[in-house]
Amino acid sequence: MTIQIEMDGEVRQVELLQGEGGRYRASIDGEPAVDVTAVVLRPGVLSLHVDGKAYRCVLAESAEGTVAYVGGKRLPYRVDDPRSLKSRRSRHGGSEGPKPLSAPMPGRVLRVLACVGDTVEAHQGIVVIEAMKMQNELKSPKAGKVVQLRAEPGATVAAGDVLAVIE
Amino acid sequence: MSLAQTSIRKILIANRGEIALRILRACRELGIATVAVYSDADRAALHVLEADEAYRLGPAPATESYLRGDLILDVAERSGAQAIHPGYGFLSENASFAEACEGAAIKFIGPPGSAMRALGSKTRARQAADAAGMPRTPGSVQGLASLDEAYAVAEGIGYPVMLKAAAGGGGKGMRAVSSRNDLSVAFSAAVSEAERAFGSGEVYLEKLIERPRHIEIQILADEHGNCVSLGERECSVQRRHQKVIEEAPSAVVDEDLRRRMGEAAVRLARSAGYTNAGTVEFLVDDDRNFYFLEMNTRLQVEHPVTELVTGLDLVHLQIRIAQGEPLPFRQEGISLRGHAMECRVYAEDPENGFFPSPGKITRLLQPGGPGIREDSGIYEGWVVPLEYDPMLSKLIAYAPTREAAIARLLRALDEYVIGGIRSNLGLFRRILSDADFQAARIDTGYLDRMLVESGSHVEASEDSNAAALIAAALFEGMRPANGGGANGSRSNASEAQPDASGWKNAARREGLRA
Repeated sequence: MTIQIEMDGEVRQVELLQGEGGRYRASIDGEPAVDVTAVVLRPGVLSLHVDGKAYRCVLAESAEGTVAYVGGKRLPYRVDDPRSLKSRRSRHGGSEGPKPLSAPMPGRVLRVLACVGDTVEAHQGIVVIEAMKMQNELKSPKAGKVVQLRAEPGATVAAGDVLAVIE
Repeated sequence: MSLAQTSIRKILIANRGEIALRILRACRELGIATVAVYSDADRAALHVLEADEAYRLGPAPATESYLRGDLILDVAERSGAQAIHPGYGFLSENASFAEACEGAAIKFIGPPGSAMRALGSKTRARQAADAAGMPRTPGSVQGLASLDEAYAVAEGIGYPVMLKAAAGGGGKGMRAVSSRNDLSVAFSAAVSEAERAFGSGEVYLEKLIERPRHIEIQILADEHGNCVSLGERECSVQRRHQKVIEEAPSAVVDEDLRRRMGEAAVRLARSAGYTNAGTVEFLVDDDRNFYFLEMNTRLQVEHPVTELVTGLDLVHLQIRIAQGEPLPFRQEGISLRGHAMECRVYAEDPENGFFPSPGKITRLLQPGGPGIREDSGIYEGWVVPLEYDPMLSKLIAYAPTREAAIARLLRALDEYVIGGIRSNLGLFRRILSDADFQAARIDTGYLDRMLVESGSHVEASEDSNAAALIAAALFEGMRPANGGGANGSRSNASEAQPDASGWKNAARREGLRA
């Protein structure tokens, strides 16, 4: 089978042929296939041998997607489903049009530093939220005008909540 | 055996996270029963799981749980605990709480309230330092009454200056001010942050020492007038005044400087009638002059590095001191051996402005092996609450030399995986591999400069990328096909086992696609 995986900003094609007893032939982006053996030690923890080289591959799910940890590196990835182009398009919006400022983590709104109608610079502070006892200034994703402001001091916000929209 | 003759038979641990667990372990080793307390956010925390008894305090916010001294004393009385260990943070430096314990005939494992009042407030400590004849940074020795007074003090000592919360710690309520223009904003920010974090808005000003090293002396004092210093810890690797890496000994402290700093620290502790464990912090300039910074009247986060190089267990000693035993050694009996280094592992994202990253730990592989100590309060499946400090664990390496300790930490970091949330493990790889750090060319501004200079991206090698791609594809293949949705259940990919049915399902799906 062939699986498309987006990792490190690139879409790669991984072709896997299953043999017996955890053996595979694997080829990336059409390059010559290599011998692979794989054993799952426990959920998410894989001992992988690629052409004799040994790797410990750990996979973990998080709110942002799946992440592979290999050789001390953290590699988030996404499996591309060729049938769905919608998800890809929405993730590659340019700097045109309105841009949301969303909370990167759950917390409490401490201060709002801008008003609706304000013209702001890119990276100008818009909202200050407090989480885990730290104050964090959320900055404007682009230069433009604040067209919406949904943050009020004292309000609790969840990760991903849109706090402001800059156009 | 002397350990069995303890007068304290049960200790309430008024804390959470790794330090609660660390204290709990010490109690176990001494044959002392433990009482844990917890907030609603911590019912499933490790310290609650491991304790002999555990009692709920209240809702998640610390002000309604871990800071409720009255509730904690109630629990102590109800459970029959003879002593309370406060850990660090929360009530550990609260003199009123220490006195309330005394009033309830429950031993507070720490200094008496009077010593805390004399040293715990940074402004009073500066007065005490003057009285003990210790060098300190120029600046105010009292809280600033107004912004005008702040301007006056700052003009007097000259910019740049540092604003600090008198009740502060961990960089909260602290602002560096480079010119008159910035003082007003920094002053109100520091006051409000101090008020929220410590319940006191008192701030003071001191001269900012350029590129100082942060070096601190651990002391221990018993209740019979004996006081010793246990050498230094260097904590110069900081971000926003929060320690990130600590080590012992310091690369710049020689025998003579260690003795002089140790004597100054002991003098200060004695002058305040201090008992139990404490830390005297200094700034050290390029010429190895040292200036008193503040005293922390509690056990420090970074105490393990001192434990490793002295061979002592500070929590055991705290408990022994609290039950009236004299220190089992004198100053001459203290010797340092080897090198220890600690990384503070936080739930935060160094690649994205160090935003806190609370949430569920979906995968956890912890390091081990020779010379590695991990003090942690986490487990796979634990949900890191957003209400508290985002520290997950302390990874500590001990080796014969500094170089070997660094190599050991790097090795352990490669073993360590915390999945599901972001952590700063990658940051430690960068610091420990940095030439300046390896040469001990560090000061309290080192890390901020390094972060600006080297950017945040870490290059992945093509080899490990290929392995990751194959692993990802394998797990995708094992993903159980879910009758419900076209994509199956994405959330379970990494839980899957490579069984035949997973592959059949994948093949079936593949067939559907073709």
